[in-house]
Amino acid sequence: MNRKLTNWALGVGTPFLLVAAWWMFSENSTNTFFPPLGMILERFQALWLFEHFESDVMLSLRNLVVGYALATVIGVGLGFVTALMPVARWALDPLIHFLRGIPPVALVPIFISLIGFGIEMRLVSITLAAMFPTLIATVDGIRSVDSTLKDVSSVYRLTRAEKLAQVYLPAAGPQIASGMQVSLQVAFVVMIASEMLGSSQGIGAMTLLAQQSFMTSDMWAGILLLGVIGFGANLVFEVIKNKVLAWYVGSKRLARS
Amino acid sequence: MNKNLRPLLVSAGGMLAALALWQVTATGPMAGGPLPSAAATFVQLAGLVANEAFWAALAETLVISLAGLTSAAVVGVVTGVLIGSFEPVRYATLAVLEFLKPIPPIVILPLVVLIFGPTTQMSWFLVFFGCVLPIIMQTVSGVHDADPVTLDTARSYGLGRTEILARVTLPSAMPFIGTAMRVAAPAALVITVVAGLLGGGPGLGLSIYQAQAAGDYPVLYAYVVVLGVLGLSFQGASRLAERRLLHWHASYREVLPA
Repeated sequence: MNRKLTNWALGVGTPFLLVAAWWMFSENSTNTFFPPLGMILERFQALWLFEHFESDVMLSLRNLVVGYALATVIGVGLGFVTALMPVARWALDPLIHFLRGIPPVALVPIFISLIGFGIEMRLVSITLAAMFPTLIATVDGIRSVDSTLKDVSSVYRLTRAEKLAQVYLPAAGPQIASGMQVSLQVAFVVMIASEMLGSSQGIGAMTLLAQQSFMTSDMWAGILLLGVIGFGANLVFEVIKNKVLAWYVGSKRLARS
Repeated sequence: MNKNLRPLLVSAGGMLAALALWQVTATGPMAGGPLPSAAATFVQLAGLVANEAFWAALAETLVISLAGLTSAAVVGVVTGVLIGSFEPVRYATLAVLEFLKPIPPIVILPLVVLIFGPTTQMSWFLVFFGCVLPIIMQTVSGVHDADPVTLDTARSYGLGRTEILARVTLPSAMPFIGTAMRVAAPAALVITVVAGLLGGGPGLGLSIYQAQAAGDYPVLYAYVVVLGVLGLSFQGASRLAERRLLHWHASYREVLPA
């Protein structure tokens, strides 16, 4: 019991200790690369909380959310079509796998050449790059649905829509969720990359600009904000996933014990 | 025979149809625009293959990815074993690692470029940073997952600490490490490209950036095609290596070719 408490205290305490150590060691830092943490936080507040909140922070977040939502809808939808229609699967499989092999960020220059540097380019880049993990996970998830389950739903004469919504979707759910989690990571990376490549708005662009003009504290503030967003987005996803897939998490625990 | 042939034919047809659609769009409605035709792209691709600078960039990309991956694997497994072997350390690092894990390396790219400049070391460090965290975390879970009964048995047979580590803990952590490596290998390539494209590090990423900046679109598309093939080979190779190297482990033995 006592040991458990110590471990728990260690888990909670270490992050605070690390931040405190960062604060103390950087306090009188004259190193241009590592400015004092106090200064970084000051710049963080000045930059992101007021001045650029609407114009850059919200803009980036909106791109991320809209692009990711589109990617999920298209990915799951296309995944269902591809998995359930053999002809579509044969025709599209090699193409999908080839496109998936391309590093997502390498697609950004292509969209810049096609649509320019605007918001549309960023949205299209995020959507298309983030679509593939979800799409592939959906196809794999549906194809590995237990054949007994399929037979049973046929015997019960479920309609096509019932089968899709009540058999295939839940059965493939856990795998689709893993794909969606990877998609979220990709969407986040492409959001930053699409802003860093020659745009002047957005958190990524501001951070790179600060670096290029040697405003180190501003750059650190950008890195902090991006880090928090990356962590926060994943956390929100985990919470929702555990809610939606509670039955699955429960059944897995039951099977293990 | 006929039944096996049909999917292949449809697949080939799908690829050809996609290429034809590309060619028709590029020469028809979007002629003269930024979309090069499929034919032009493949002509450029043939040109690249004959070009020495292309092979140099490809080699640089491969060297950076593999160097970053190897160093991340060594450091990651050692650190993971150390963290996983001491319960208090595991608890102390858990929150920190969980916080850092979902943060992609592109976030610290500006800082890394500031310190190293657009160099090979910069790209290498970024790859290392991006790959090492997942490897550490998987190794920790793997070490933690070692069967307590086996550990106790080994101890009662009088095995020493290092022997237990080498004969029980590490083998049972292997599938976790294998999974981490299979995910990390394609990621290493992606990060190398990111470092070149956004940070100016050497390799194919920089080539893509230069082609885009120069408005040389057929070359840009040719490079993207190359990266697609390269990405696929990384994924295939890492999956194959995982299966080859871990065929002895219980969780792989049952996988029979369907």
